[in-house]
Amino acid sequence: MSRYDSDCGERGQAAAYVLQALERGEVERYREHLDGCAACSADVARLQPVADSLATSVPHAVASQELRARVMASVRSEAELLHAAGAAADRPEPARARWRARRPQFLIAAVAMGVGLLIGVAVIDTGSQAPTTHVTSAQVASLPLGAKAVLRQTGSHAELVVSGVSQPPRGEIYELWLARAGAAPEPTSALFGVTRAGDASVNVPGDLAGVHQVMVTAEPLGGSSHPTSSPIIVATL
Amino acid sequence: MIDLKPDTDMPKPLKVKPRIDLSPAKLRKLADEELMELVCRNEAVAFEVVMERHVDAAFSLAYRMIGRRSLAEDVVQEALLSLWRTGARYDRSRGSVRNWILGITHHRAVDALRRDGVRTSKNVSDEGLGERLEAPERTDAEAVRRDEARELRSALGELPAEQTQVIELAYFGGFTHTEIAAMLDLPIGTVKGRMRLGLEKMRGRLDTLEVLR
Repeated sequence: MSRYDSDCGERGQAAAYVLQALERGEVERYREHLDGCAACSADVARLQPVADSLATSVPHAVASQELRARVMASVRSEAELLHAAGAAADRPEPARARWRARRPQFLIAAVAMGVGLLIGVAVIDTGSQAPTTHVTSAQVASLPLGAKAVLRQTGSHAELVVSGVSQPPRGEIYELWLARAGAAPEPTSALFGVTRAGDASVNVPGDLAGVHQVMVTAEPLGGSSHPTSSPIIVATL
Repeated sequence: MIDLKPDTDMPKPLKVKPRIDLSPAKLRKLADEELMELVCRNEAVAFEVVMERHVDAAFSLAYRMIGRRSLAEDVVQEALLSLWRTGARYDRSRGSVRNWILGITHHRAVDALRRDGVRTSKNVSDEGLGERLEAPERTDAEAVRRDEARELRSALGELPAEQTQVIELAYFGGFTHTEIAAMLDLPIGTVKGRMRLGLEKMRGRLDTLEVLR
Protein backbone atom coordinates (compact mmCIF):
# COMPACT_ATOMS: atom_id res chain seq x y z
CA MET A 1 0.00 0.00 0.00
CA SER A 2 1.40 3.32 -0.99
CA ARG A 3 1.46 6.07 1.61
CA TYR A 4 1.71 9.81 1.19
CA ASP A 5 4.55 11.33 3.18
CA SER A 6 5.24 14.92 2.28
CA ASP A 7 8.33 14.84 4.54
CA CYS A 8 9.82 11.82 2.80
CA GLY A 9 13.59 12.11 2.77
CA GLU A 10 13.78 10.83 -0.82
CA ARG A 11 11.76 13.64 -2.39
CA GLY A 12 14.88 15.33 -3.72
CA GLN A 13 15.53 12.33 -5.97
CA ALA A 14 12.62 12.65 -8.37
CA ALA A 15 14.16 15.21 -10.72
CA ALA A 16 17.44 13.32 -10.98
CA TYR A 17 15.50 10.11 -11.55
CA VAL A 18 13.42 11.42 -14.45
CA LEU A 19 16.55 12.97 -15.99
CA GLN A 20 18.23 9.56 -15.68
CA ALA A 21 20.94 11.13 -13.53
CA LEU A 22 20.87 8.81 -10.54
CA GLU A 23 23.81 6.50 -10.04
CA ARG A 24 23.27 2.96 -11.24
CA GLY A 25 22.87 1.56 -7.74
CA GLU A 26 20.44 4.28 -6.74
CA VAL A 27 17.98 3.60 -9.53
CA GLU A 28 16.81 0.21 -8.32
CA ARG A 29 16.54 1.39 -4.73
CA TYR A 30 14.54 4.42 -5.78
CA ARG A 31 12.18 2.34 -7.90
CA GLU A 32 11.51 0.11 -4.93
CA HIS A 33 10.93 3.22 -2.84
CA LEU A 34 8.41 4.53 -5.37
CA ASP A 35 6.30 1.41 -4.87
CA GLY A 36 5.60 2.49 -1.30
CA CYS A 37 5.73 6.28 -1.42
CA ALA A 38 2.82 8.17 -2.92
CA ALA A 39 4.54 11.55 -2.49
CA CYS A 40 7.58 10.56 -4.52
CA SER A 41 5.41 8.77 -7.08
CA ALA A 42 3.43 11.97 -7.51
CA ASP A 43 6.66 13.94 -7.96
CA VAL A 44 7.81 11.56 -10.67
CA ALA A 45 4.41 11.62 -12.38
CA ARG A 46 4.52 15.42 -12.43
CA LEU A 47 8.11 15.77 -13.64
CA GLN A 48 8.38 12.84 -16.08
CA PRO A 49 6.43 14.59 -18.87
CA VAL A 50 8.77 17.56 -18.57
CA ALA A 51 11.80 15.31 -18.95
CA ASP A 52 10.09 13.55 -21.87
CA SER A 53 9.52 16.90 -23.54
CA LEU A 54 13.25 17.55 -23.57
CA ALA A 55 13.58 14.74 -26.11
CA THR A 56 11.42 16.63 -28.56
CA SER A 57 13.08 19.99 -27.96
CA VAL A 58 16.16 19.18 -30.03
CA PRO A 59 16.81 20.59 -33.51
CA HIS A 60 15.40 18.44 -36.26
CA ALA A 61 17.86 16.19 -38.05
CA VAL A 62 17.33 13.51 -40.66
CA ALA A 63 18.31 9.89 -40.26
CA SER A 64 20.15 8.47 -43.25
CA GLN A 65 18.64 6.05 -45.73
CA GLU A 66 21.41 3.62 -44.82
CA LEU A 67 20.25 3.52 -41.22
CA ARG A 68 16.66 2.88 -42.28
CA ALA A 69 17.81 0.13 -44.63
CA ARG A 70 19.95 -1.55 -41.97
CA VAL A 71 17.13 -1.58 -39.47
CA MET A 72 14.58 -2.91 -41.92
CA ALA A 73 16.95 -5.61 -43.19
CA SER A 74 17.23 -7.00 -39.66
CA VAL A 75 13.52 -6.61 -39.01
CA ARG A 76 12.49 -8.34 -42.23
CA SER A 77 14.86 -11.25 -41.71
CA GLU A 78 13.63 -11.80 -38.17
CA ALA A 79 9.99 -11.43 -39.23
CA GLU A 80 10.46 -14.09 -41.89
CA LEU A 81 11.88 -16.44 -39.30
CA LEU A 82 9.13 -15.74 -36.85
CA HIS A 83 6.42 -16.28 -39.44
CA ALA A 84 8.12 -19.43 -40.72
CA ALA A 85 8.33 -20.79 -37.20
CA GLY A 86 4.57 -20.77 -36.83
CA ALA A 87 3.95 -24.27 -38.11
CA ALA A 88 6.83 -25.72 -36.12
CA ALA A 89 6.09 -23.82 -32.97
CA ASP A 90 5.05 -26.83 -30.92
CA ARG A 91 7.61 -29.27 -32.26
CA PRO A 92 10.52 -29.90 -29.94
CA GLU A 93 13.98 -30.37 -31.31
CA PRO A 94 15.24 -33.93 -31.30
CA ALA A 95 18.12 -34.52 -28.95
CA ARG A 96 21.23 -36.50 -29.78
CA ALA A 97 21.15 -39.88 -28.11
CA ARG A 98 24.62 -39.92 -26.59
CA TRP A 99 24.37 -36.42 -25.35
CA ARG A 100 20.92 -37.12 -23.93
CA ALA A 101 22.35 -39.99 -21.91
CA ARG A 102 24.98 -37.73 -20.41
CA ARG A 103 22.90 -34.65 -19.77
CA PRO A 104 19.27 -35.60 -19.27
CA GLN A 105 18.34 -32.21 -17.90
CA PHE A 106 19.05 -30.65 -21.27
CA LEU A 107 16.64 -32.99 -23.00
CA ILE A 108 13.95 -32.27 -20.46
CA ALA A 109 14.45 -28.59 -20.98
CA ALA A 110 14.38 -28.88 -24.74
CA VAL A 111 11.13 -30.82 -24.68
CA ALA A 112 9.60 -28.37 -22.25
CA MET A 113 10.48 -25.36 -24.36
CA GLY A 114 7.07 -24.43 -25.60
CA VAL A 115 7.55 -20.71 -25.15
CA GLY A 116 8.84 -18.96 -28.19
CA LEU A 117 9.87 -22.21 -29.82
CA LEU A 118 11.35 -20.93 -33.03
CA ILE A 119 13.27 -23.01 -35.47
CA GLY A 120 14.71 -21.68 -38.65
CA VAL A 121 17.68 -20.26 -40.42
CA ALA A 122 17.79 -17.22 -42.64
CA VAL A 123 20.61 -16.38 -44.94
CA ILE A 124 21.14 -12.71 -45.55
CA ASP A 125 23.04 -11.88 -48.66
CA THR A 126 25.15 -8.92 -47.69
CA GLY A 127 26.66 -8.53 -51.12
CA SER A 128 29.21 -10.29 -53.22
CA GLN A 129 32.13 -8.73 -51.35
CA ALA A 130 30.78 -9.33 -47.87
CA PRO A 131 30.52 -12.64 -46.04
CA THR A 132 27.08 -14.19 -45.77
CA THR A 133 25.24 -13.82 -42.49
CA HIS A 134 23.25 -16.75 -41.17
CA VAL A 135 20.57 -15.92 -38.64
CA THR A 136 19.35 -18.80 -36.49
CA SER A 137 16.40 -18.29 -34.20
CA ALA A 138 16.69 -20.00 -30.85
CA GLN A 139 14.36 -21.79 -28.51
CA VAL A 140 13.72 -19.62 -25.51
CA ALA A 141 12.33 -21.08 -22.31
CA SER A 142 11.81 -17.85 -20.50
CA LEU A 143 8.97 -15.81 -19.22
CA PRO A 144 7.64 -13.28 -19.94
CA LEU A 145 6.10 -14.20 -23.22
CA GLY A 146 7.86 -12.44 -26.05
CA ALA A 147 11.42 -13.37 -25.14
CA LYS A 148 13.45 -13.86 -28.29
CA ALA A 149 16.94 -14.94 -29.20
CA VAL A 150 18.77 -15.20 -32.47
CA LEU A 151 22.25 -16.35 -33.33
CA ARG A 152 23.95 -14.37 -36.08
CA GLN A 153 26.89 -16.02 -37.84
CA THR A 154 29.05 -14.05 -40.22
CA GLY A 155 32.11 -15.92 -41.38
CA SER A 156 33.84 -17.23 -38.26
CA HIS A 157 32.15 -14.67 -36.03
CA ALA A 158 28.92 -15.39 -34.19
CA GLU A 159 26.82 -13.25 -31.91
CA LEU A 160 23.86 -14.23 -29.75
CA VAL A 161 21.27 -11.45 -29.53
CA VAL A 162 18.55 -11.84 -26.91
CA SER A 163 15.62 -9.68 -25.92
CA GLY A 164 12.89 -9.86 -23.35
CA VAL A 165 14.76 -12.45 -21.30
CA SER A 166 14.36 -12.46 -17.53
CA GLN A 167 17.18 -11.30 -15.32
CA PRO A 168 19.34 -14.18 -14.03
CA PRO A 169 18.54 -15.17 -10.45
CA ARG A 170 20.23 -13.11 -7.74
CA GLY A 171 23.85 -14.19 -7.38
CA GLU A 172 23.91 -15.85 -10.77
CA ILE A 173 24.91 -14.92 -14.29
CA TYR A 174 24.15 -16.30 -17.71
CA GLU A 175 26.81 -18.54 -19.23
CA LEU A 176 27.10 -19.53 -22.87
CA TRP A 177 27.93 -23.13 -23.83
CA LEU A 178 28.88 -24.87 -27.04
CA ALA A 179 27.58 -28.39 -27.59
CA ARG A 180 29.02 -30.79 -30.11
CA ALA A 181 27.21 -33.96 -31.09
CA GLY A 182 27.69 -36.71 -28.59
CA ALA A 183 29.70 -34.60 -26.19
CA ALA A 184 28.90 -32.72 -23.04
CA PRO A 185 28.47 -28.95 -23.46
CA GLU A 186 31.72 -27.02 -23.30
CA PRO A 187 31.88 -23.87 -21.20
CA THR A 188 32.90 -20.59 -22.80
CA SER A 189 34.23 -17.36 -21.38
CA ALA A 190 30.98 -15.61 -22.32
CA LEU A 191 29.27 -14.66 -19.06
CA PHE A 192 26.59 -12.02 -19.32
CA GLY A 193 23.61 -10.29 -17.80
CA VAL A 194 20.75 -8.56 -19.53
CA THR A 195 19.47 -5.01 -19.42
CA ARG A 196 16.28 -4.11 -17.61
CA ALA A 197 14.54 -4.68 -20.91
CA GLY A 198 16.05 -8.16 -21.01
CA ASP A 199 18.37 -7.37 -23.89
CA ALA A 200 21.95 -8.50 -24.50
CA SER A 201 24.34 -9.05 -27.38
CA VAL A 202 27.01 -11.62 -26.71
CA ASN A 203 29.94 -12.54 -28.91
CA VAL A 204 30.29 -16.30 -29.10
CA PRO A 205 33.90 -17.17 -28.29
CA GLY A 206 35.76 -20.01 -29.85
CA ASP A 207 35.42 -22.09 -32.98
CA LEU A 208 31.93 -23.11 -34.04
CA ALA A 209 33.21 -25.93 -36.24
CA GLY A 210 31.28 -29.05 -35.31
CA VAL A 211 29.13 -27.20 -32.84
CA HIS A 212 25.59 -28.54 -32.83
CA GLN A 213 23.98 -26.16 -30.38
CA VAL A 214 24.74 -22.89 -28.64
CA MET A 215 23.11 -22.77 -25.21
CA VAL A 216 22.68 -20.47 -22.27
CA THR A 217 22.21 -21.46 -18.65
CA ALA A 218 22.10 -19.51 -15.40
CA GLU A 219 25.21 -20.23 -13.34
CA PRO A 220 26.83 -18.95 -10.16
CA LEU A 221 28.81 -15.73 -10.60
CA GLY A 222 32.14 -16.58 -12.18
CA GLY A 223 30.61 -19.30 -14.29
CA SER A 224 30.71 -23.08 -14.10
CA SER A 225 32.78 -25.77 -15.77
CA HIS A 226 29.67 -27.86 -16.32
CA PRO A 227 26.03 -26.80 -16.45
CA THR A 228 24.26 -26.69 -13.12
CA SER A 229 20.86 -25.79 -14.50
CA SER A 230 18.72 -26.44 -17.53
CA PRO A 231 19.26 -24.19 -20.53
CA ILE A 232 17.00 -21.23 -21.02
CA ILE A 233 18.15 -20.65 -24.60
CA VAL A 234 19.11 -23.22 -27.21
CA ALA A 235 20.14 -22.31 -30.75
CA THR A 236 20.47 -25.38 -32.94
CA LEU A 237 22.84 -24.88 -35.84
CA MET B 1 16.17 -19.29 -11.82
CA ILE B 2 13.76 -19.39 -14.72
CA ASP B 3 11.40 -22.23 -14.21
CA LEU B 4 10.53 -24.40 -17.17
CA LYS B 5 6.94 -25.37 -16.68
CA PRO B 6 5.01 -28.17 -18.33
CA ASP B 7 3.51 -27.55 -21.73
CA THR B 8 0.06 -27.09 -20.26
CA ASP B 9 1.23 -23.95 -18.45
CA MET B 10 2.91 -22.45 -21.44
CA PRO B 11 1.32 -19.43 -23.03
CA LYS B 12 -0.83 -20.49 -25.92
CA PRO B 13 -0.20 -19.25 -29.45
CA LEU B 14 -2.19 -16.16 -30.33
CA LYS B 15 -5.52 -16.86 -31.96
CA VAL B 16 -5.57 -16.19 -35.63
CA LYS B 17 -7.10 -12.78 -36.19
CA PRO B 18 -8.95 -11.70 -39.30
CA ARG B 19 -6.62 -10.87 -42.13
CA ILE B 20 -5.78 -7.19 -42.27
CA ASP B 21 -4.92 -5.21 -45.35
CA LEU B 22 -1.20 -4.67 -44.87
CA SER B 23 -0.66 -2.43 -47.85
CA PRO B 24 1.53 0.53 -46.96
CA ALA B 25 -1.21 2.95 -48.00
CA LYS B 26 -3.64 1.39 -45.53
CA LEU B 27 -1.08 1.07 -42.78
CA ARG B 28 -0.12 4.72 -43.03
CA LYS B 29 -3.68 5.62 -42.05
CA LEU B 30 -3.46 3.67 -38.80
CA ALA B 31 -2.57 5.23 -35.46
CA ASP B 32 0.72 4.25 -33.85
CA GLU B 33 -1.08 2.20 -31.23
CA GLU B 34 -2.87 0.16 -33.90
CA LEU B 35 0.39 -0.37 -35.75
CA MET B 36 2.03 -1.62 -32.57
CA GLU B 37 -0.59 -4.36 -32.35
CA LEU B 38 0.57 -5.53 -35.76
CA VAL B 39 4.21 -5.19 -34.74
CA CYS B 40 3.45 -7.57 -31.89
CA ARG B 41 2.33 -10.02 -34.58
CA ASN B 42 5.73 -9.65 -36.24
CA GLU B 43 4.47 -7.65 -39.20
CA ALA B 44 7.59 -5.98 -40.53
CA VAL B 45 5.65 -3.70 -42.86
CA ALA B 46 3.78 -2.21 -39.88
CA PHE B 47 7.04 -1.66 -38.07
CA GLU B 48 8.40 0.16 -41.11
CA VAL B 49 5.57 2.68 -40.92
CA VAL B 50 6.23 3.26 -37.21
CA MET B 51 9.92 3.60 -37.90
CA GLU B 52 9.40 6.11 -40.70
CA ARG B 53 7.23 8.24 -38.44
CA HIS B 54 9.72 8.47 -35.62
CA VAL B 55 13.22 7.65 -36.85
CA ASP B 56 14.11 11.29 -37.48
CA ALA B 57 12.99 12.30 -33.98
CA ALA B 58 15.02 9.47 -32.48
CA PHE B 59 18.05 10.35 -34.56
CA SER B 60 17.70 14.05 -33.71
CA LEU B 61 17.79 13.19 -30.01
CA ALA B 62 20.70 10.78 -30.32
CA TYR B 63 22.67 13.22 -32.45
CA ARG B 64 22.02 16.05 -30.01
CA MET B 65 23.35 13.86 -27.20
CA ILE B 66 26.30 12.20 -28.89
CA GLY B 67 27.33 14.69 -31.55
CA ARG B 68 28.62 12.09 -33.99
CA ARG B 69 26.49 10.81 -36.80
CA SER B 70 27.86 7.26 -36.88
CA LEU B 71 27.51 6.69 -33.15
CA ALA B 72 24.11 8.34 -33.08
CA GLU B 73 22.97 6.01 -35.87
CA ASP B 74 24.26 3.01 -33.93
CA VAL B 75 22.24 4.12 -30.92
CA VAL B 76 19.08 4.60 -32.98
CA GLN B 77 19.56 1.24 -34.67
CA GLU B 78 19.85 -0.44 -31.27
CA ALA B 79 16.79 1.40 -30.02
CA LEU B 80 14.64 0.56 -33.05
CA LEU B 81 15.60 -3.11 -33.01
CA SER B 82 14.85 -3.19 -29.31
CA LEU B 83 11.44 -1.71 -30.12
CA TRP B 84 10.86 -4.39 -32.74
CA ARG B 85 11.89 -7.20 -30.43
CA THR B 86 10.03 -5.99 -27.35
CA GLY B 87 7.02 -4.31 -28.92
CA ALA B 88 4.75 -6.62 -26.96
CA ARG B 89 5.66 -4.64 -23.87
CA TYR B 90 4.27 -1.40 -25.21
CA ASP B 91 1.53 -0.20 -22.89
CA ARG B 92 -0.52 2.60 -24.44
CA SER B 93 -1.77 3.69 -21.01
CA ARG B 94 1.76 4.78 -20.16
CA GLY B 95 2.26 7.20 -23.00
CA SER B 96 2.57 7.62 -26.72
CA VAL B 97 4.58 5.38 -29.01
CA ARG B 98 6.72 8.39 -29.88
CA ASN B 99 7.62 9.03 -26.26
CA TRP B 100 8.32 5.34 -25.78
CA ILE B 101 10.71 5.29 -28.73
CA LEU B 102 12.41 8.46 -27.57
CA GLY B 103 12.68 7.03 -24.07
CA ILE B 104 14.42 3.91 -25.39
CA THR B 105 16.69 6.07 -27.55
CA HIS B 106 17.58 8.28 -24.59
CA HIS B 107 18.42 5.27 -22.42
CA ARG B 108 20.59 3.78 -25.17
CA ALA B 109 22.34 7.07 -25.78
CA VAL B 110 23.09 7.50 -22.07
CA ASP B 111 24.43 3.97 -21.99
CA ALA B 112 26.66 4.73 -24.98
CA LEU B 113 27.92 7.95 -23.43
CA ARG B 114 28.76 6.25 -20.17
CA ARG B 115 30.14 3.10 -21.78
CA ASP B 116 32.10 4.43 -24.70
CA GLY B 117 33.42 7.65 -23.25
CA VAL B 118 32.35 9.68 -26.26
CA ARG B 119 31.67 12.72 -24.15
CA THR B 120 34.46 14.86 -25.50
CA SER B 121 32.55 15.55 -28.66
CA LYS B 122 29.04 15.60 -27.31
CA ASN B 123 26.84 18.34 -25.94
CA VAL B 124 26.94 20.08 -29.24
CA SER B 125 25.09 23.33 -28.93
CA ASP B 126 22.20 23.94 -31.28
CA GLU B 127 24.13 26.63 -33.06
CA GLY B 128 27.40 24.76 -33.13
CA LEU B 129 26.49 21.73 -35.15
CA GLY B 130 29.34 20.99 -37.48
CA GLU B 131 27.02 19.68 -40.12
CA ARG B 132 23.53 20.94 -40.66
CA LEU B 133 21.13 18.08 -40.80
CA GLU B 134 17.95 20.03 -41.13
CA ALA B 135 15.34 18.62 -43.43
CA PRO B 136 12.81 20.64 -45.36
CA GLU B 137 9.47 20.88 -43.61
CA ARG B 138 7.36 18.45 -45.54
CA THR B 139 4.10 18.20 -43.68
CA ASP B 140 1.91 20.26 -41.40
CA ALA B 141 2.56 17.75 -38.62
CA GLU B 142 6.29 18.28 -38.93
CA ALA B 143 5.83 22.03 -38.90
CA VAL B 144 3.79 21.77 -35.71
CA ARG B 145 6.44 19.56 -34.13
CA ARG B 146 9.14 22.05 -34.98
CA ASP B 147 7.13 24.90 -33.52
CA GLU B 148 6.68 22.83 -30.40
CA ALA B 149 10.38 22.07 -30.26
CA ARG B 150 11.16 25.77 -30.50
CA GLU B 151 8.75 26.49 -27.65
CA LEU B 152 10.37 23.79 -25.55
CA ARG B 153 13.85 25.14 -26.23
CA SER B 154 12.60 28.58 -25.37
CA ALA B 155 11.16 27.30 -22.08
CA LEU B 156 14.48 25.65 -21.26
CA GLY B 157 16.35 28.81 -22.24
CA GLU B 158 14.24 30.95 -19.95
CA LEU B 159 15.40 29.08 -16.87
CA PRO B 160 18.19 30.54 -14.76
CA ALA B 161 21.46 29.50 -16.38
CA GLU B 162 22.54 27.33 -13.46
CA GLN B 163 19.33 25.30 -13.72
CA THR B 164 19.58 24.91 -17.50
CA GLN B 165 23.17 23.79 -17.06
CA VAL B 166 22.48 20.89 -14.70
CA ILE B 167 19.45 19.75 -16.68
CA GLU B 168 21.39 19.74 -19.94
CA LEU B 169 24.40 18.00 -18.41
CA ALA B 170 22.13 15.31 -17.01
CA TYR B 171 19.65 14.78 -19.81
CA PHE B 172 21.73 15.47 -22.90
CA GLY B 173 25.17 14.79 -21.46
CA GLY B 174 24.34 11.57 -19.64
CA PHE B 175 26.16 12.67 -16.51
CA THR B 176 24.98 11.49 -13.11
CA HIS B 177 24.25 13.98 -10.35
CA THR B 178 27.45 12.90 -8.61
CA GLU B 179 29.51 13.61 -11.73
CA ILE B 180 27.83 16.97 -12.22
CA ALA B 181 28.48 17.94 -8.60
CA ALA B 182 32.16 17.09 -9.00
CA MET B 183 32.37 18.87 -12.35
CA LEU B 184 30.81 22.08 -11.02
CA ASP B 185 32.31 21.77 -7.55
CA LEU B 186 28.89 21.90 -5.93
CA PRO B 187 27.25 19.84 -3.19
CA ILE B 188 25.11 17.03 -4.59
CA GLY B 189 22.07 18.50 -2.83
CA THR B 190 22.53 21.76 -4.71
CA VAL B 191 22.68 19.94 -8.03
CA LYS B 192 19.52 17.98 -7.26
CA GLY B 193 17.81 21.14 -6.07
CA ARG B 194 18.62 22.96 -9.30
CA MET B 195 17.33 20.04 -11.31
CA ARG B 196 14.07 20.01 -9.40
CA LEU B 197 13.57 23.77 -9.53
CA GLY B 198 14.33 23.84 -13.24
CA LEU B 199 11.93 21.05 -14.11
CA GLU B 200 9.20 22.54 -11.91
CA LYS B 201 9.55 25.89 -13.66
CA MET B 202 9.50 24.24 -17.06
CA ARG B 203 6.40 22.36 -16.01
CA GLY B 204 4.65 25.61 -15.21
CA ARG B 205 5.78 27.22 -18.45
CA LEU B 206 4.76 24.26 -20.57
CA ASP B 207 1.38 24.04 -18.86
CA THR B 208 0.80 27.60 -20.00
CA LEU B 209 1.82 26.73 -23.53
CA GLU B 210 -0.27 23.53 -23.40
CA VAL B 211 2.70 21.61 -24.75
CA LEU B 212 2.34 18.84 -22.17
CA ARG B 213 -0.61 16.67 -23.06
